[in-house]
Amino acid sequence: MAITTIFSLPKSVKKFFDNNFERWLARRIPARQEHQLNSRNIMIYPTRFGLSYLSFVILVFLLGTNYQNNIILLFSYLLVSLFISVMLHSFYNFSQLRFYSMSQQQGFSEGTLYFPIQVIAKKTHFDINFYFTNALSGNQNQTITQCHEGSHEIKLPYQASSRGKHQVGRVTVFSEYSLGIFKSKSVLDFDHTALVYPKPKRLVAGQYQLSSQSEEPNTDTRQTVNIAGTDDFSELRSFVRGESRARTAWKQLAKGQGHFTKHYQEGQGQLQWLKLSEMPSNDIEEKLAYLSFLVIELSASNETFGLEIYTDTANNSANIAPNSGAIHQQDCLTALALY
Amino acid sequence: MIFFKNKITKADKNKRMINPFILSTKNAWLLWLCQCLNIAIIALELSTWMLAIISLSLAWQALLLHSSRDNIDKMSSKSANKSVGNTKARVISPIILSTFALMGCVVIAITAKQVGLLLSMVHLLCFSYVLKAFELRARRDFYQLLLLGLFILASSLIFRQDLAFSMITVALLVINLAVLLQLFSSHKSFTTNIKVIAILLAQSTILAIVLFLVFPRMSPFWQVPLAKSAETGLSDTVKPGDIANLTRSTKLAFRADFGQQQIPGYSQLYWRAMVLENYDGRQWSRQKTAGKRQDKTHRLKIESAEQALLFDANKMGVLPLNYQVTVEPSFQKYLFSLAPALAYGERKGIIAQADYTFSNEKIITQAKSYQLSSYLTVPLAIELSLNSKQINLNYPAGSNPRLEQLALQLQHNYVDVQARAQAILTLINKGKYAYTLQPPLLKNNSLDQFFFDTQSGFCVHYASAFTFLMRASGIPARMVTGYLGGEFNGVVDAQKSITTGHLSIYQYDAHAWSEIWVAGKGWLRIDPTGAVDPQRVNSGWSSELLQEQSALNNELLSLYQMKNNAWLRAIRLQFDALDYQWTRWVIGFNTKQQLDLFNSWFGKMVSWKLALIMAISLVVSMVMLMLFLHLLNRSKRSQLPLAQWQVIYKKALGKLAKQGLNKPVAMTVNDFSKKVREQCPELAIAFTRLSASYSCLSYKALTLDEQDKLILTMQRQYRHLLQTMKNKH
Repeated sequence: MAITTIFSLPKSVKKFFDNNFERWLARRIPARQEHQLNSRNIMIYPTRFGLSYLSFVILVFLLGTNYQNNIILLFSYLLVSLFISVMLHSFYNFSQLRFYSMSQQQGFSEGTLYFPIQVIAKKTHFDINFYFTNALSGNQNQTITQCHEGSHEIKLPYQASSRGKHQVGRVTVFSEYSLGIFKSKSVLDFDHTALVYPKPKRLVAGQYQLSSQSEEPNTDTRQTVNIAGTDDFSELRSFVRGESRARTAWKQLAKGQGHFTKHYQEGQGQLQWLKLSEMPSNDIEEKLAYLSFLVIELSASNETFGLEIYTDTANNSANIAPNSGAIHQQDCLTALALY
Repeated sequence: MIFFKNKITKADKNKRMINPFILSTKNAWLLWLCQCLNIAIIALELSTWMLAIISLSLAWQALLLHSSRDNIDKMSSKSANKSVGNTKARVISPIILSTFALMGCVVIAITAKQVGLLLSMVHLLCFSYVLKAFELRARRDFYQLLLLGLFILASSLIFRQDLAFSMITVALLVINLAVLLQLFSSHKSFTTNIKVIAILLAQSTILAIVLFLVFPRMSPFWQVPLAKSAETGLSDTVKPGDIANLTRSTKLAFRADFGQQQIPGYSQLYWRAMVLENYDGRQWSRQKTAGKRQDKTHRLKIESAEQALLFDANKMGVLPLNYQVTVEPSFQKYLFSLAPALAYGERKGIIAQADYTFSNEKIITQAKSYQLSSYLTVPLAIELSLNSKQINLNYPAGSNPRLEQLALQLQHNYVDVQARAQAILTLINKGKYAYTLQPPLLKNNSLDQFFFDTQSGFCVHYASAFTFLMRASGIPARMVTGYLGGEFNGVVDAQKSITTGHLSIYQYDAHAWSEIWVAGKGWLRIDPTGAVDPQRVNSGWSSELLQEQSALNNELLSLYQMKNNAWLRAIRLQFDALDYQWTRWVIGFNTKQQLDLFNSWFGKMVSWKLALIMAISLVVSMVMLMLFLHLLNRSKRSQLPLAQWQVIYKKALGKLAKQGLNKPVAMTVNDFSKKVREQCPELAIAFTRLSASYSCLSYKALTLDEQDKLILTMQRQYRHLLQTMKNKH
């Protein structure tokens, strides 16, 4: 028991300090999209090498004193003053940098999200490193070894683990420029949030069909997606890159009239609803993954569809009415992410 | 201690080898070069076998680097992960390395007794420095290597401190730090990095100088092994031919500063170092000093001698000649003086001897200054003790029979002592004697052979023969070694008869002469060299002698060239003057001088005042440094002048900011005008126009005329914007 208390006490103290530090930091460097480094938000402290450098200088001083050798003393004084001027240099190398970053990024889980940070320099800076302060080990430093005058963009990778909306946390920017003796550091809060969609999971043919009247027993998965508009042919449109080959009007193409694709009218007045409850799985995450896949596929083929994820009437308004287009796709995915 | 550190780092390394640290080829070569330079600076102190091992290791290192570079060249076209594999080629297996290290340590330990503790430490330091380069696995290894290198630089300063050497050390420090900087800014060229470091160090000097001046000097914390370098200069035994060898060296022996007094003539500048009274038929050596038991009586004797000297000087009205001598490290104990002299000022550690010479308490390992006052015309030792007389008459009978015979003859012919001495000098002068740096070798150092057969020699030959003749003819005589003359470096003001400058005495000024004791006159200085080569005694080396010296020497710039080439001479003298100031004010800066400095600046010193001065000066210099850097950075910031339209647009932005409309940096001009339109519709028209003109001016290629026109329009638009803003309120 005694041992545990001894061990737990520092932990609580540490937590207390951490919390206090967090609060202090939040006051000192509030969340903003734009930051400029200055004496308010730069922390500067000697690195381990800096400390060993200092003890080395003391060693040289002892050598000089013991030998009563003025030149060695002068040498040690020079090294000590260098320590101080390097501190100032590393501060000036680091300060005046400006950063700008959009606060939200979207992506699929288990993928990597990139948060672009725009770096605006008014002079040349060296050895500027970035990483997410709370990052797991998988996330690596991004480094600009030489940052010229002007604007640069770096993309800070973020490993999206699970679906949902995550606070990414602060970005640590640091530099050990000049001799590695000092570390200038700032933890900037861009209020970065990661909106992580469920990772799309491919639906195999026949597993799920939107409308019961679909008769296509095609094993091609694309066909499964095209379920929606197979009923009535409506028009021919010019081929747009990215459209499915399956819809190519081969007859017209063969005649040399050009590359057209066939477009079909959806079932009369029958709105297509993607329903969570109809997904062929018992696991809710897997269901969402299927939905995510379907949303993307349907949007790619510019279908109109709705999303019903809440079955109870109370939450009915959160369901998304049928629509199409990029914004609609994003809305649907966001709804899936936040479910 | 260094050994211990070395061991620890090795133990640590096995634990953490997580992230592989790979130097780029360029950096690796730079590091290698830097190592070579660092070793070169201390190479003089290292023994030959250590140098051989070090150069072998460095060559090995170079070979590894070379082969790994070839590998990279070959593999660059292939897969990337193979190039990681070849960096292993740079690393040697730790077993081989540690056995090598262990063997080296054992050898160093074995030879420790021979080379001395300090030097074996230095050996160990260099050895670990070279070996460390084989195992650069992490960044911390690189840092350790770098600090080891800096430590080598610092310890090389134990052995030499003159200006040239210190400057070389600083240059090497710059290179070392630039190699470190290269790690952080690898895109820049090495020369720009050197420039950056030079600027950094230059900025640091302010604080360093302040620290040097005000930081209290401390006495040594513990005893340290002293440097046991090769002794330079005169030795306490002299054979004919010895000093001739010494004259090949152009190294500085010491400097003398007479302040503003008239410097005595060249032929008066007999710098006394040692008196050699024992002659064993082959060489002259010093009389063994009395043991510790007689220490007190010895000191009393010297004190009474000093009193007598002062009394004589007062009686004869001889004014003292005060001067300061700064000796270079000779790793011996003797000091130089113009006899007879008294030490004044800080006498600590300076011991006066009975024979009018001075010696230092400890071996001189650093430049040392002391002050003397000489009474040149006062006779030396009017009274001669019986013991002393016996010593100075003693010679091994039958060692030089022909000279003994000559001495008897002279004794018979010249009853007067001084006449007898003069007769020998005349003999030398009239005979076919030659003064040369390359005297023929003598069998058993026989003076007979020299005086009657070879008849050519250097100062020791003549002084030996003369002293021997004197002793053999019954006159107390002894040999004195030291330096003669010196090179004046400074300005002579003929009108006020004031000289400012100093004398530099080099090893080639080494000399030997004799003294004979004459009743009622004391010890008289007789220099037989003057009889054979009067120029040597009156003004220095003759040009034949200089040429001979240059022929013997194979230095880059021979003494002959240096003395005869006008601008070479000027440069050398200039540098000598600088080096003298360096020696005086930097190497010789001690607690006393520090206190004197404070006293002269701030009045009487009290301890709280001292602390206050230190604190204030440190703070002030720190603030100065900060301010300096701040200004430097500020000027860089405003380097780009803004065009007129940019100024107008900025002003407009400022006005809008007051209204609560801030433009984020990353927002484009068009986006911002849209934002303005949304949030402040009443300003929209005016501002959109302004923005349009701004983008036009910024991004379109316009002729100067069109630009001027557009700027005018923009100014109008700006006024319009202001107007609408006013109306809004």
